Amino acid sequence: MPSTYVPSSRFQDAAAYLSGAPSLSKVSNSTKLEIYGLFKYLTVSHTPNSSRPGLLDFAGRAKWDAWKSVGEGYRDRVFEVEERYLQIAIELGWKEGERKEEFQTPPGTSSSQDESDDGDIWDKEDEPKGGGIGFGVTVSKISQEGEETRPDGSFHTYAVAGDTEGLKAYLESHAEAQVDTKDEYGYTALHMASDRGHIEIVKLLLDRGANSSIKDTDGFTALELAQVAEHDEVVQILDSRL
Amino acid sequence: MSTNNGKARAIEVIEEDSGHQSSASEGSDDELNSSTLPEASMPSTSSKKKKKKRSRALKALDAMKGGKELPQDLVDVVLGKVKETGQAPQADEATVRAALEAMKIRDVIQGKAGLGGVGKKDTGGHKFWGTQPVPQLGEEAPSSDGYIEPSRPSSELRQEPYPLPKDFVWSTVDVTNDEELRELWELLSANYVEDDDEAFRFQYSMEFLRWALIPPGYYKEWHVAVRVASNKKLVAFIAGLPITLRVRDNVFKASEVNFLCVHKKLRSKRLAPVLIKEVTRQCNLKGVFQALYTSGTVLPTPVSVCKYFHRCLNVPKLVAVQFTHVPANQTLARMKLLNKVPEKLKLEKDGLREMEEKDLPEVTALYAAYMSRFGMVIQLTEEEARHQFFSGRGEGPGSWKKPREKQVIWTYVVENPQTHKITDFVSFYSLPSTIMNEPKHNVLYAAYLYYYATDVAFQHGADDDGRLKRRLEDLVGDALVIANEAKFDVFNCLTLMDNPSFLTSLRFGGGSGLLNFYLYNWRTAQLAGMTPVDGMPAGRGIGVPMI
Repeated sequence: MPSTYVPSSRFQDAAAYLSGAPSLSKVSNSTKLEIYGLFKYLTVSHTPNSSRPGLLDFAGRAKWDAWKSVGEGYRDRVFEVEERYLQIAIELGWKEGERKEEFQTPPGTSSSQDESDDGDIWDKEDEPKGGGIGFGVTVSKISQEGEETRPDGSFHTYAVAGDTEGLKAYLESHAEAQVDTKDEYGYTALHMASDRGHIEIVKLLLDRGANSSIKDTDGFTALELAQVAEHDEVVQILDSRL
Repeated sequence: MSTNNGKARAIEVIEEDSGHQSSASEGSDDELNSSTLPEASMPSTSSKKKKKKRSRALKALDAMKGGKELPQDLVDVVLGKVKETGQAPQADEATVRAALEAMKIRDVIQGKAGLGGVGKKDTGGHKFWGTQPVPQLGEEAPSSDGYIEPSRPSSELRQEPYPLPKDFVWSTVDVTNDEELRELWELLSANYVEDDDEAFRFQYSMEFLRWALIPPGYYKEWHVAVRVASNKKLVAFIAGLPITLRVRDNVFKASEVNFLCVHKKLRSKRLAPVLIKEVTRQCNLKGVFQALYTSGTVLPTPVSVCKYFHRCLNVPKLVAVQFTHVPANQTLARMKLLNKVPEKLKLEKDGLREMEEKDLPEVTALYAAYMSRFGMVIQLTEEEARHQFFSGRGEGPGSWKKPREKQVIWTYVVENPQTHKITDFVSFYSLPSTIMNEPKHNVLYAAYLYYYATDVAFQHGADDDGRLKRRLEDLVGDALVIANEAKFDVFNCLTLMDNPSFLTSLRFGGGSGLLNFYLYNWRTAQLAGMTPVDGMPAGRGIGVPMI
């Protein structure tokens, strides 16, 4: 749905601050994406109107996904979105009442903006940041790029993400929802929450009558998944409710 | 992985267009005396009418070095190439522009970052590299390989060390002395290379450093150190190791420069450039004027770039320390099942066993034959092979199930039960990382694939019909079994040698890290690393898995 939100002056100030905030260059991409998603939700529409960008356009795709997940996470709770946006701005050093120049393009929509921020960091050669310099081999870890993601907004997504409130809201608004429904990979929500160690969700699902004896495609019950993943508290809860 | 390929392709496109690749060379050179080495020659258009005639892409690169916006020329060139390869038929100008911007291509060209913004800030800035005999960014490929500056006789060399900032003095580290070795180990453990998120930092063991720094023929003068004048505390280090390097058809003495490390608190003193100049001077004094080095940082100018790949062994721990993550559509239990390593060795019946000293002549010969298939390799004498594959095996008894005390390198051979000929070998080394800010685990135990060879490569058509690939899957697969038994958490490798052929089937996953390869005072065209170059398959340009 198109945004009916009228930007408050606090939001405009915060957005103006974030568009040029030096601290922005130090935050993770996921935070940048969240800021982007929140901004688009508030200023354009709750979810993207365009189709998901193609594989070649990884930045566009990530931004699109971030925007969509804000829309599906908050649905029409506009003021929570604004609160979240202001909260991030405050964490990144924005002080209420402070305003920089005029309302600018948001961070993330203009990549030249992003790049000049990043450039500043890389140009400060004297900054004693961690990360060894120079010759030798490189430390690397498994990259997350190009991975398949779950379809957003499904019942299981909340269980994977550990979003208790989202899951509650989903169950309330979907009277027909079956807690033991399996997703396309053969997992129940209880399987996923037990594997990820989301205690509150496990409790919530059990309270709603979730069946803990169901096995996944590999033959594991929720209890076994929690044991393998060494989520001791979840193991205890499942054990006590058997 | 498709997005990574996308990036790689785009970069390759830029490089291809910035000059005509040429594999022309001066022919084999048995003499290692550097005075007989050829000088690189550049394409005539660039030397005669350098300023007038430049390719469109080169102009685009130049435009980029200054500006904020991606130049239209560059976008056009990339879009043309993308269309030509047919990889993304719907690609339009906007997507290409967005993709290039996401890669932070401008920073790459300017040397501020690796692809995708990954990589560290550079070593002293390009002002420094502009003064060094290295190919500059955007330069065309040479029409023939060779040196950039001729070697000089010792009488013409600078005899005194370069000046250091006040309060610091030059020194060396004697790694045969336990106390000095410990000092070096402490410097590196606290200040050496970390990942971009500052979660992991290399933690070379003392045994490893001793092994790595004293190969046959090493010079203690090449273990260059900087100490605080007042208390002699070690605060910076750089090492050169003597190697015989072949780059395409030329063979020459060179220095493998590694372990550049400056104490975190002194990163503002700009010690790195002076360390590089001093180790260069020390190498020159021994008659060595070429060097090989690698870095996560993009400097002028990589001769190749390789990507790290990782095979998860201890999945729960790797997830717990955020080395990897459980995909949204999987459980940890499933991930464990998928990454389960077999307990049995595939090649045991074919005669796989730990390498012994008596195998050295055969292993040396097999190494030489196998490595001749790659563009840039280190040539090993039997003594050097003993060092690389044998001397780091540790002390006391061991078996393939039980590592020795102080073991840093694992080498296995396949001895044909009938002919007793050594048909294959495979090796890996141990390089743990410190896990920072994680209460439950302190150390990530990582094995790195090192050299390997198999005589299957010499069978007619083995490369084309998949025999070589299958043999390597068995051989490296067995290395995984051994590393898993030895309780390593992860097994790493780079996209070099024949590695790209078995990464998928052995369940390696793409890493966040890239490694750039550099040659000092040597020009040659791009060598195939993570992407193919001019018909040279991915990996085959590079035969030097660095330590």
